[in-house]
Amino acid sequence: MPNIVVCYKWVLDEQDIKINPANLALDTSRAKYKISEYDRNAIEEAVLQAEKSGASVVCLTFGTSTAKQSLKDALSRGPEKAYWINDAAAEKADAFVTSNVLVAALRKVGDYDIIICGEGSADTYGQQVGPRVATLLDIPVITFVTEMKIEGNKVIATRKIGDCTEVVTVQIPVVITVLPEVNKPRIPSLKQVLGAAKKPVTEWKIADLGLNMEDTEPKNNVKSIKGFVMSRKNVIYKEGTPAEKVTSLVANLTKEGAL
Amino acid sequence: MAGIWVYSEDTNIAQQLLTLGGELADKTQQQVCAVTIFEQDAQELIASGADKVFVLKGDSAWPESYAQAVADLASKESPMAVFIGATLRGKDLAAKVAARLKTGLVTDAFSVRYEDGAIETDRMMYGGLAVCTEVLRGIGLATIPPRTYDVPVKDNSRTGEIVKVNVAVEAAVAVGNVCPIVRQGADIATAEKLVCIGRGVGKKEDLLLAQNLAAVLGAEIGCTRSIAEDYHWLPNENYIGLSGQKVKPSLYLSMGVSGQIQHVAGIRDSKIIVAIDTNENAPIFAAADYGIVGDLYQIVPLLTEALK
Repeated sequence: MPNIVVCYKWVLDEQDIKINPANLALDTSRAKYKISEYDRNAIEEAVLQAEKSGASVVCLTFGTSTAKQSLKDALSRGPEKAYWINDAAAEKADAFVTSNVLVAALRKVGDYDIIICGEGSADTYGQQVGPRVATLLDIPVITFVTEMKIEGNKVIATRKIGDCTEVVTVQIPVVITVLPEVNKPRIPSLKQVLGAAKKPVTEWKIADLGLNMEDTEPKNNVKSIKGFVMSRKNVIYKEGTPAEKVTSLVANLTKEGAL
Repeated sequence: MAGIWVYSEDTNIAQQLLTLGGELADKTQQQVCAVTIFEQDAQELIASGADKVFVLKGDSAWPESYAQAVADLASKESPMAVFIGATLRGKDLAAKVAARLKTGLVTDAFSVRYEDGAIETDRMMYGGLAVCTEVLRGIGLATIPPRTYDVPVKDNSRTGEIVKVNVAVEAAVAVGNVCPIVRQGADIATAEKLVCIGRGVGKKEDLLLAQNLAAVLGAEIGCTRSIAEDYHWLPNENYIGLSGQKVKPSLYLSMGVSGQIQHVAGIRDSKIIVAIDTNENAPIFAAADYGIVGDLYQIVPLLTEALK
């Protein structure tokens, strides 16, 4: 029976982030957090595979103290146990740091056969952590997976990469990153939500993982993060009959040479 | 640290990256080098501006398995930066290369500059809500979306050095059943005009409204993510957004699209954005050049008639 570890990220909900028009600074003071959508697919896939093959599933996250709220949410989706690297360093972590931390944690967890990640995260969408983790563990990775099955000690997965699909077969251990279309995450039932509170959580600090200082420092210098503003004409027709609105629109598009 | 490198498993994209490579190489007085797994394309890459081409010769047809080879070559030669085409295969390889080199990696950089002696990149964050500007350190790694740059004008008289490198490739993976995805229409990523449908369209039969409008405009039809992924009215390759297709039409016209951040991130390079929606507070209007607040079931047929 393979042991599945699913990684997820607790991210700010971008719908709640406001941009200050004066200086384009991001205001996250009212933003709630969520499990990154892509990772909900990863958790669901891990649980589906476990249901099919009798595998065990644990989840793993690296986050700041705010990620405490994520544990119950993640566990209500089916994993038996959660590992949480609770460290302020997660705030500024890039994919280099995140993958170093996850790999150190995975080595501490010890028994992993299949590691499932979302293809990217909803906040930075760097699409790097899965392949980086595999490389650091020196095991193969199958990215952008739309379908997978476990057969004995092999994983057979279909990837969708732009203009083609391909079927990749590897021996475990392996890292899999899933596309959103791989499944439809379940909505946890009340019973699952209540049950999640009873499941075990192991909490570590980065200091418990035996990493070097340089492994926990981001590589590139982030110079700025600013709200993106498109300058568009914003000519919006609200008044008048539908025919009048259409006439005005067509006149403008004709003038622009857009037709 | 010497040399600006480009790599893609798609030679046309590698040529696009040579446009960027050439600009940076001029500014930094360095060579621009292309790394390729296709020996037969080496001369083509030189004609497109490469001063030097490294040909990786390994016995795998799976581009992803060359990550270690690219990383080994880069650690030996220490280029200032490596730009990799941001196809999904390219992103897979780039992340593995970054892990081996212990460097950062900027995914989907839409703008790259040389500033104060370093390379700077811009990329989107939070679904397109924000732009993150980074200064690259060490061997600068970034993936660049296809069609960010044009292919340079070819000069067949250019000469350059071709270096063949025999490499070992990852062999732990068996790849089979490679099937091209057959598109059910034109590639919307390169469409000149687009009509985009969103959740404001009530039922699948109403796609006819969009089809009629698209026919008079000579446009292709795209959609929002939920139309493709939840409703399956159109194939997945027709959905526009950050994780779907990024489009650059001269005219984008939406009907019943509310304009979530992730969708708008996919249309920001459109020349003119037109929106039709009943909700005057829909975010799409903030992203639109022209908009009509109204019922698309009334507006679209009138517009189609007017454009005939």
